[in-house]
Amino acid sequence: MTMFINWGSREINLKIVYYGPGLSGKTTNLQFIYNHLNPELRSQLVTLNTKEERTLYFDFMQMELGEIKGHTPRVSLYTVPGQVYYAFSRKIILRGVDGIVFVADSQKSRMVDNLDSLLDLENNLSEMGQSLKRIPWVIQYNKRDLPRIAPVEVLQSKLNFYGVPYFESIANRGMGVLSTLKSIIKMVLSDIHTLV
Amino acid sequence: MDMNKNITASYFILSENAYNEINRILEELALKTRADLIIFSDSNGYPITSQGNFPDLDTSVMASLAANNFSATAEMASLLGEAENFKYLFHEGEKFNIYISNVGYNYILSVIFKKEVAIGLIRIMANKAGEAIHELLNREQQEEQTSTELMDSEFSSLLDKELDKLLKI
Repeated sequence: MTMFINWGSREINLKIVYYGPGLSGKTTNLQFIYNHLNPELRSQLVTLNTKEERTLYFDFMQMELGEIKGHTPRVSLYTVPGQVYYAFSRKIILRGVDGIVFVADSQKSRMVDNLDSLLDLENNLSEMGQSLKRIPWVIQYNKRDLPRIAPVEVLQSKLNFYGVPYFESIANRGMGVLSTLKSIIKMVLSDIHTLV
Repeated sequence: MDMNKNITASYFILSENAYNEINRILEELALKTRADLIIFSDSNGYPITSQGNFPDLDTSVMASLAANNFSATAEMASLLGEAENFKYLFHEGEKFNIYISNVGYNYILSVIFKKEVAIGLIRIMANKAGEAIHELLNREQQEEQTSTELMDSEFSSLLDKELDKLLKI
């Protein structure tokens, strides 16, 4: 069971998870979205951090879209901790996920970390009976402003093996953040459209 | 993209009747226990409905934290070799306590109450309410539901408009 349509309160609930290696910019994406939105349409941003301000468990916020045909889509956004040793936290956060944003670090030196994280994601999904083949997901190539980054064609050939939509971003300046989010919400909602 | 159409079980529709019935059960629970706030959510942290009032508390945040708290203890249970998750969590504060229990496998009931209220009473009443909701949802799941009324072709264009409005760059 994943997506919950509440006929009583006229709400459609979606869960989007930001996945990717440590320090790739998942939390930065959420912070930008949080600051950008009208406070009346979003919850608090909850961050469960370590003392070193790295994500320990998850970041969370919820946002509300305007009414569509009498129903209000509510979107929960989560990030997972990127570091390898928080494997359990990642599994827990992925439960019930409707769509995924994979935030890749564009720096050449992080290519292996990106691949490891993507593999970890696929393993966790398959334990839930899901797969990157089926679930709606997009890739965000972040940190495009840094030196020594891999060209997009290289990132595409190594990471985007299913040809999902991709976005270039500089999350700390907000570039590419909102278009990524828009794209994944549309994919998830058109997915239920196909199902019903 | 290869969108497999076989994942039809990936959404659940709660009918208006069931929603109202759950609210009635929670209302009764609040009345009997004098709890300040009761939140019924799914195990992914989506707050389905709530009863009571706790000033300045964001129920969506509370529901998310409760659900993830519950999931984390499921991992503790499995480390101990338990076949199932612990049945409830209890957090004791100076003024308020929180009692979080599972309702079947997919739902969670969180009760926030003042220290003066006996935990025994909360346990008994919350479990009773949980069982009633569980039965109700089991019946609900068996009924054929459709939402074609909602998801017609107009939906996508309206969605695009709303997204553009909300996420204006």
